[in-house]
Amino acid sequence: MTEPLTVGFVLDGLVALLLVGLVFRLLRTRHLFEAIMLYVAYGLTLALAWVRLGAPDIALAEAALGAGVTGALFLNAWHRMAVRAGADERLPMESDP
Amino acid sequence: MSVELMVNGLTVVLLVIGCFFFLAGTVGLLRFPDLYCRLHALTKADALGLGFVTAGVALQLGAWHEILLLAALWLLVLSAAATVCHILASEALAQGVEPIQAGAGRAGSMDSEVDASSAEDGSEGGDGARARRGVSP
Amino acid sequence: MTAFLLGVAIFLLANVAAGLVRVIRGPTQADRVVAAQLFGTTGVAILLVLSVAMDARPLRDVALIFALLAVVISVAFVKRGWVRAPGQPSRAEPSLPREEP
Repeated sequence: MTEPLTVGFVLDGLVALLLVGLVFRLLRTRHLFEAIMLYVAYGLTLALAWVRLGAPDIALAEAALGAGVTGALFLNAWHRMAVRAGADERLPMESDP
Repeated sequence: MSVELMVNGLTVVLLVIGCFFFLAGTVGLLRFPDLYCRLHALTKADALGLGFVTAGVALQLGAWHEILLLAALWLLVLSAAATVCHILASEALAQGVEPIQAGAGRAGSMDSEVDASSAEDGSEGGDGARARRGVSP
Repeated sequence: MTAFLLGVAIFLLANVAAGLVRVIRGPTQADRVVAAQLFGTTGVAILLVLSVAMDARPLRDVALIFALLAVVISVAFVKRGWVRAPGQPSRAEPSLPREEP
């Protein structure tokens, strides 16, 4: 009985590490599109964390609203910003490191 | 007892095969040189990896309607993966992202959609992209 | 059996973490979307395995939502998000109103 608990602990630790790493990279990056995709991945990982915490209904809401709808809205807003930046060429949206 | 052991062993085998396909998909995503090759790797992981994992999980369930739900889930992911792969590839092709041709070396710049001028200069098969651009309405 | 299932979940989660590299240094936007798509599928597999390991039936509904979500992101990207380079033709794309600066 103690072995599944240990494996579950490793899984929880990996989820937590992934969350912290994702947020760190998301806050540090200067590339806007990469930040949106990292946000979507963060929503998925956070839903996994809710599942591991025993709250599948919150995981459902997080996956559907937090990652899905918000990610699509971010993509829409990013497209408008990029089109506007391409119109007057002041903001280079694609500044790959 | 023996039947249960057999079902568990079959589940283990199916899950290991599914994990292998997911590993192949991830390695392909990281190592393949092109968007189209990466789409290929992604679709393999979507269809086969999730299919084997779903089969392995379905063996552990008792009720038939839950197995039916899993089958519907797999069919949904299968059709969605095929559709998404198709629209991504066709849109990339319509925008002049060059596929890497066999024997052509490193033809086609990876950043061709980001920077049009460098893609025009850097790609050796530029007229192919131009012809395709002329075709697209 | 539970330990094995959780081990499978750990392996799949490690796959997700490795796929992050493609999101971070994917040269084009489409590569990042492809990586996010793989996240969605691997998340579905993780949830299915966890639903057996934790003996929780609602996790399969969460897996269904995960399966829908990756499609929403990818279709939104293709329809609205893919920004054309200045020289590229815009195919079947209504021109957005460009505001005067």
